[in-house]
Parts: sequence; structure tokens; C-alpha cells
Amino acid sequence: MPDMPHSPSRTLGPVGLYRRMAGASIVAQLRYPGTFIIQAIGNFVTTLLSFFGIWSLFHRFGSIAGWDIGTVAALYGLVNVAFAVAETLGRGFEVFGGEYVRTGSFDRLLLRPRSTLLLLLGHELRLRPIGRFLQGLFVLVAGLWLAPHVQWSALLVLPWAVAGGAAMFLGVLIGQAALCFITVEGLEVVNVLTYGGVEAGQYPLTMFGRWLRRFITFVLPLAAVCYYPALFCLHHPDPLGLPIWIGALSPAAGFAFLGVMVFAWQRAVAGYVSSGS
Amino acid sequence: MSLRPYLTAFGLQWKIGLRYRIAVVAGLVAQMWFGAVTLMAYASVYHAAPDVQAPLSLRQAMTYTWIQQSLFTLLPLGCLPAIGDAARTGSIVYDLLRPVDMWNWWLSASLARLLGNAVPRAVLLACVAGPLAMIVGLGAWSLAPPASLISAILALVSIALGALLSATIVMGWNILTARTLSPLGSYAVGTPLAVLLSGMLLPLPLYPDWIRPFLLVQPFAGITDIPIRIYLGTPIPGGVATGLGLQIFWLAALTLLGRLWMRQTVNRLEVQGA
Repeated sequence: MPDMPHSPSRTLGPVGLYRRMAGASIVAQLRYPGTFIIQAIGNFVTTLLSFFGIWSLFHRFGSIAGWDIGTVAALYGLVNVAFAVAETLGRGFEVFGGEYVRTGSFDRLLLRPRSTLLLLLGHELRLRPIGRFLQGLFVLVAGLWLAPHVQWSALLVLPWAVAGGAAMFLGVLIGQAALCFITVEGLEVVNVLTYGGVEAGQYPLTMFGRWLRRFITFVLPLAAVCYYPALFCLHHPDPLGLPIWIGALSPAAGFAFLGVMVFAWQRAVAGYVSSGS
Repeated sequence: MSLRPYLTAFGLQWKIGLRYRIAVVAGLVAQMWFGAVTLMAYASVYHAAPDVQAPLSLRQAMTYTWIQQSLFTLLPLGCLPAIGDAARTGSIVYDLLRPVDMWNWWLSASLARLLGNAVPRAVLLACVAGPLAMIVGLGAWSLAPPASLISAILALVSIALGALLSATIVMGWNILTARTLSPLGSYAVGTPLAVLLSGMLLPLPLYPDWIRPFLLVQPFAGITDIPIRIYLGTPIPGGVATGLGLQIFWLAALTLLGRLWMRQTVNRLEVQGA
């Protein structure tokens, strides 16, 4: 049917377009397989070493308010796996300030008849975080293996929690990119919410003071995507008194956070003034 | 032998480090966040297990963390950025042509880069975590003063040695960069090693007892861990002399090995680009 301009074979839907961009990005990264393998192994070892620090701390002091190293391992694994997924998807937002706003090449994206979010997601599907992902998964499985009360329902809640966590971290990256419309250059302070979020998410919520607890519950819903789902999976009663089923629902907060950030992004794009090129 | 070229190299990199004022403020916010998270975690584990005899008291562990955070940019995380660029573009060949001792030339630049980054951040964070925290009523979380006047002076000597030692390790990353023609390898190896072995991740005295002697005698301990122990007045096996001795030993050993490696590298260096 050569005279049908909008036949499905000629126009890619959003999913097809994304798949094609992602495929191109993966091929490009595997052009240097040696570099890729070394970087992935480096990523795996680095993140695993950071777990050795927490392990040493708990090894010396024993369990804290019912949290032993096994349960903390589950928490640590969960936050790392979620962050690795967001890191893989959100590279375009991470480099947005330097590569799109400062250079003015965001103008070109605006000319394309597609969502800017989709085009930026397709900037790169980064493979390097696979090191963090695998070590997080490894620590998570080990933690669940050691914990006494894990039930089969954990298998349903864990992917849901990882998805919620990835959505939340992706929301942070989108928010960071939206800020670039004002600051032009990327703001590294936002790393406090990404890497700093991972750092805070790997400890039980009860270890922190009240201001930090409130911040990572109500401002950045870190507790909703990591701490409460982990409590649910481990069948561990909440020392702060919330019922245990909260953990099965709370990862939705990660998606709500992502929604707010997408809204902020669209407002920011609407007011975009090019820096010229 | 004139010192002037080395002082010029030092002065240039020192100024580059001081240029990025917004980066200093951003770094301060990040260091305070990581400091706060770590401090609360330590406070919680110490309070949950009051009868555990830890090698550091809670206050000492907090002070250790603050100093460690403030000296983060003093760690040898990777090669000198200028050398990474030079290796990639091939302009490293100009360094070979200079009528100076290349080791000292690169070393003075590396040292200045570390100090130019670390000194403003350290002073700023020390003010915030020390006197300012006291004033706003967070005295229990603040940076404790040094154990005594003598330990303060010895700690200053030790931190100077530590900075020099860090620059010597950076020299190792620089040579690695010149060999592999890419700075990425030095960061991939250097950052995890430095963060773990210097005590940035967890104070070295808090690791399990069986591994502590090894952690003390490896070279990265000389950068920040030994100066902080002297500052806190916590016993180092064999006393302060062992601490300073270890630093001097590693400085001498790494300089010797580094110079040999550099000579061998320069002799067979292949430069890319034109």
C-alpha cells in the first residue's frame, strides 16, 4: 500500500521509536566491549565495597532496634536496584543542562513532533549501571535468604517497590533537568537527592532524626518506596506504628512523585527561552 | 636547579582549584547532607549498643566523619585532569620537551590541584561543623576540638605529609593515564580504592578487628586517617611516631617506585594525535 502515508509500517509509535533509539544506544556502547566490561565490573566492585562498610558497622555493634545485617541488606539491595534502573533510563536528563540547554540543541528536540520526555529518555539507555543493579540484587537476595519471616507475597511486592523506587529517582532526574531551564548548567547539589538518597535509603528510617525522617517521607518519598516495602517483605513490624500492609501500597507514592515532576517539566518547557546557538 | 618552574606549576593549578566558587558551595551542601546521614546512623548504632567497647567514642566517630568529609577532595580519586586531557589529545609530548624534572613538575601541579580544591572546602566545613554548630545548639553533633595543643600541631604536620602522600599516589594515576592514554581507568581504579582505604566510607578504626592492622599499614591510611587519629588523640599502636613514620615510609617508597615506573613509561611512550 504505497499511497498510505500513515500506515503503521511508516510511522513508529512511541514504543517503537523508543525501542529503536535504545537499540542504537546499546549497539554504540557495545562498540568497545572491553571498556564496557571493565566499567561494569568497576561499578559492581565499588558498590559492593560500600556494602562492606555497612556490614562492618553492624558486625561491630550487632542489631539495632530489631534490624540486623540481614534486614539492612534487603533495604540496601532494594534502594540500589531501584536507583540502577533509574540511572539506566534517565541519562538524558542527567546531562540535560550541559548537552541540551547550554548548547541550545534543545531547540531541535522541540521541532520534532514527539514528546520531549520520550526523546530525552531515548538519549541513551545506559548499560554501565548493570554493575550496581547486579550487586544490589545479590545483596537483596542474600538479605531475604537470611531473614526469618519472608513470605511468597514478597515476590509480588518487590518488583512493584523497585518500579516505584525507579520512578521516584527518575522523577528526581527530570526535576533536575527542569531546573536547568533556570540555571542553564546542571546543578550538582541535586546529587544530594540521587546519590545522597541512595545513602539515606540504605539505613532503616528509625535511625534518623525527625527532620530527616519527615524529609524522606513527605518531600522525597524515599521511605514509601524502600523502607515500608522492605518492612512488608521481611514481615517486620514498623517501630513507628504504621500497619504492615502500608508497604504493599506505598510504592505508588514514587509514581505520584514522578507525576508531579513531569508536570513541573511541562510547565518549564512551556516557558523555555533558548540560550541561542 | 631552580625551583621557579615548579612553583609556577603549583600556582597555576592552585588558582584553578579556587576558581569554582559555586562548586565549593554545592560541595558544602553535599558534604553536610552525607555528614548528617552518617552521623545519625552512627548515633543510632552507638545508642542501641551502649556496652560495646568501640575503638572510637561516638563523639570521636563524629569528629572523624566531619574531618573526613571536609577533606574529601584531598583524596587521590584519579589523575590530574590536565594530564588526562594531555594524554587524550597528544599534547603530553610538550611536557616531555620541557627542560624540567617531569616528576617534580607533575607532582607540584597535582599537589596544588588537591590543595586548591580541599583547603577552601575544609575551612568552610570546619567553620560550619565546629563553631557554628555549637552556636545553634548542635554541640553534641559538632566537630570536637583537638585533643591538645601538641596533638593539634602534630596533626598539622601529619596532614601536610598526608597531602604530599596523596599527590604521590595521584602521580601513580598520572603515569597510568599516560600509559593507557585515557583518564577513565585511573578514576575507575582510584576512586573506590581511595574511598574505602582512606576511611571515607567508614572510619578505619571501626572495621573488624582482624583487618585493622592491614588497614593501618597501607598507604591510603596516611592521607587522612593517621592525621585524624593524631588530632583525636586516639592511640595508634606504637604511638604518634609510628603514624608519622608510616607516612614518611610510604612517601619515600612510592616516590622511588613512581620515579622508576615513570622513567620506564617515558622511554616507551607512544603519543597519539598530532
